[in-house]
Amino acid sequence: MGLAAPLWLLGLLTVALPLYLHLLRRSSSRPQPFASLMLFEPHQPGTERRRRLRYPLLLSLRLALLALLALAFAGPYVRGRLLAVPPDRLLVLVIDDSASMAARSGAGTRLQQAQRAALAVARSRRGGDRVQVLALDSRVHVLTQPLGDTGAVAAAVDAVTPTDARGSFALLGAVPGALARDAHTPVEIHLFSDLQATGMPADLSELQLPPGVRLVLHPVGGAAPNWTVESVDAPAQVWDPRPARIQAVIAGFGTPAATRTATLFIDGRQAGRAQVAVPAGGRSVASFTAVAIPFGLSRGVVRIDAADALPADDEYDFVMQRAERVHGLFVHQSADTRSPLYFGAAAGAASEAAVQLGDIAVQQLPRQDLAGVSFVILDDVAQLPPLQERRLEAYVRAGGAVLVSLGPAAAQRRDIPVFGGRIGALRRYEGPGQFAVVGQADAAYPPAGSLGEWSGVRFFYAARVDPAGARVGLALADGTPLLMEKRLGAGRVLLFASGFDNLTNDLPLHPVFVAFADRLLRHLAGRPERAAARTVGDYVELRAAGERGSVDVREPDGNRPLSLDQAGKLSSWQLQRAGFYDLQYADGRRDVVAANLPRLESDLRPAPPETLALWQAQARSGAAAAAAGTGSEQPRSLWWYAMAAALALVLLESVVAGRYLGTQRDAP
Amino acid sequence: MQRWLDPQVLNAISGLDLVARTVVDGFIAGLHRSTDFGFSQEFAEYRAYMPGDDLRHVDWNVYARSGRMYLKRFQGETNSVLTLLLDASNSMNFASHPVSKINYARFTAAALAYLAGRQRDAAGLIVFDDEVRNRVRPSGTHGQLARILAALEGAEPRSRTRFEAPLAGFQELLRRRGVVVFISDFYADPGRIIRAVEPLSAHGSEVVLFHVLDPQELRPDLEGPALFVDLETGERMEVSGEYARGRYRERMGEHLTRLAEGARRAGMSHHVLDTGAPLDGALAQYLRVRTAAL
Repeated sequence: MGLAAPLWLLGLLTVALPLYLHLLRRSSSRPQPFASLMLFEPHQPGTERRRRLRYPLLLSLRLALLALLALAFAGPYVRGRLLAVPPDRLLVLVIDDSASMAARSGAGTRLQQAQRAALAVARSRRGGDRVQVLALDSRVHVLTQPLGDTGAVAAAVDAVTPTDARGSFALLGAVPGALARDAHTPVEIHLFSDLQATGMPADLSELQLPPGVRLVLHPVGGAAPNWTVESVDAPAQVWDPRPARIQAVIAGFGTPAATRTATLFIDGRQAGRAQVAVPAGGRSVASFTAVAIPFGLSRGVVRIDAADALPADDEYDFVMQRAERVHGLFVHQSADTRSPLYFGAAAGAASEAAVQLGDIAVQQLPRQDLAGVSFVILDDVAQLPPLQERRLEAYVRAGGAVLVSLGPAAAQRRDIPVFGGRIGALRRYEGPGQFAVVGQADAAYPPAGSLGEWSGVRFFYAARVDPAGARVGLALADGTPLLMEKRLGAGRVLLFASGFDNLTNDLPLHPVFVAFADRLLRHLAGRPERAAARTVGDYVELRAAGERGSVDVREPDGNRPLSLDQAGKLSSWQLQRAGFYDLQYADGRRDVVAANLPRLESDLRPAPPETLALWQAQARSGAAAAAAGTGSEQPRSLWWYAMAAALALVLLESVVAGRYLGTQRDAP
Repeated sequence: MQRWLDPQVLNAISGLDLVARTVVDGFIAGLHRSTDFGFSQEFAEYRAYMPGDDLRHVDWNVYARSGRMYLKRFQGETNSVLTLLLDASNSMNFASHPVSKINYARFTAAALAYLAGRQRDAAGLIVFDDEVRNRVRPSGTHGQLARILAALEGAEPRSRTRFEAPLAGFQELLRRRGVVVFISDFYADPGRIIRAVEPLSAHGSEVVLFHVLDPQELRPDLEGPALFVDLETGERMEVSGEYARGRYRERMGEHLTRLAEGARRAGMSHHVLDTGAPLDGALAQYLRVRTAAL
């Protein structure tokens, strides 16, 4: 017998209240005048009070009720088997369905071993035990509610299939712990897993289970040598007509030194082959040179002849895109030679010749054919004939893109060409130490980048423009919008409220200028940066904020996972299977995304025994609570018994008090 | 007529004069003419004039013949002096019902004074607590009753009772024989009370102790514990109902017995006046004593 929170016993002091009400309060009535106390003797307290307690039964009930409540909150418990009957348990069967569980082990896979072990535990349950089945990878999947039907449990266990996700045991401390807290019975968590070391969190405290929860580990598989194509270095976008170079890293986990053959496939056709000597438990690089990449999107695969336990990681998928260069036009004042110099240099350095940027003076614009130009940059143009302005507007409405920068020359006119609107005021930060910095960057707006990149860039001049519904990608610290964009017809117009001339700001002197120019040009040209390969669990963006239209996602096995509602609303999608995903975006673009197994799953070595022992030792503090099944003593809370007795006393007290009160009411 | 003697009925009557008339008339109406308390005007004897006697009763014929002033005495007519001693200490303010002890004592004193007037007795009043607060010299003159009643009206309880100091001053006031009526609740040691009062009867006066007590003082019916405050001393005491119903009554009985016994030994009479009871007891007792005194 013990108390979990003995300080609550201080609540016993509350018994003084009914004592006061029943005894002391009665004797401390108002003083009554009397002629003389000469014939009186002082009253002897106690004797009469004891004999003349008013409502002694009611007082007893109230004292007992308060004592019981204090005792209940003190958390009484007894150790041992109460009533010699072990308590019912909740058995939580957690089956690891991460990618490594597909590794071959003996006659089947690790997952099949785990399922057999889980079924054995489910069948060994006692009569009152309930069983709940969970699957664990990078998330916890609750497959059943607590069930008493072994058949239903077996069906749920059999339904578990291996996924391509990574496993994370840190989740065991969260979701099953929450289930345990709601169960109000001893909980045993049975984990069926290969217990990969890579699934363990860096901080073992994340594995802490709540009190009263016992953890039983059921290891399956064990250490097994495994080779994998760990990564591939391939260009995601190719503008250069020359052949590309592709490199693949071949890694071995727990493997002896061996020679592996790596084969490159482009769109299903073998494009290269390389012999790689992989050291024991090490890495080597396989290089494929002079790889011809066709125009458009190409699906690349690097595959090794591993013949190991986990074939799923023996190949690595990636996507390359070859496209024509994009042509852009940089229009400037004839007197301004600085802006085309700085911007042209940055564009040439950043976009790997993906964009060919030509510069002309504004006087040459009428003679320029815009049909072959993907975008136009109007840099600090003071005068633009109305005819040319209308021509540019028509160009944008037809799907083109225009960037307008407002340097000191452009600020001489009130109206902003193409973008529309008026220049409200000019912000000049003159004088020593007078400048503005970027104070806001929309991370979801591709040209803006992160705010940290803009650290140190000083702006000495900016035009104040009312955004009027335009998206603000960058803004100065005083709130002046710096980079804005709005749709116009099928195209888009961007406005940069400063210049590129190294006079209105010192942006061209900072490294971010190159990256900014690259992002800006890609955005203007409609060629966003893309990755050659992704990992299962990553998210792909399906649409920009506010963009309408339906997207289409087709999984590697050809399934379309999105419902109609999701296709019209979802902004991103998590890659859940390894392979090539076909995507058609809301704006009509088509793309292919390559998803690969998380390479942490390739290391099949289990966590060190001492780590597993420590994990179970942490759970042992709560394991005593679940000891009924193993025969050891456990503390059993008497809370419910105390509260049930208190409830009964409340009812009895109500009856007794009502009787007394009724008597008083009836009294004349 | 008995209901006109009920103290609670009298309490509703404003004016001690009316109260006194009501009591006495009611009382007399209830009496059958008896030999003990004759109210006839039959001649009995002469007695020498004394200061304070009503000049209307001087027999001027005798004076003309003898040059001495004699008063004619009749059977049942006054030849006595009634001196009322009223205790107006704070304890007299106690009341467990609408009639307080002091009011009951006032009614009694007023009725006795009125009765004395009708008997042609001289009547006087001394109001005291721990000192003599007011006094009306005994007289049988017209207007004496009004003076006594006015003094009674002003006898508001205060302070505490001390018998020794005021009674020492009474001696000079009580040189004539007569009836001394002492109205008090007598909260003091009976031996000390008797010692203090005994000198009043030294020169032949009949002394009557009217012991005024509230029913709750005589028979307290306290159910549970209570906190009592002494009206005179302000002392507080927690009193149990058990004690009040048992031991207190015994002690009160002992107190009354000792006082009555001491009074009897000193030639005085002791009479308990229950403020819940009609006033005729006091009047009857007075007439009985007066008759003995004559």
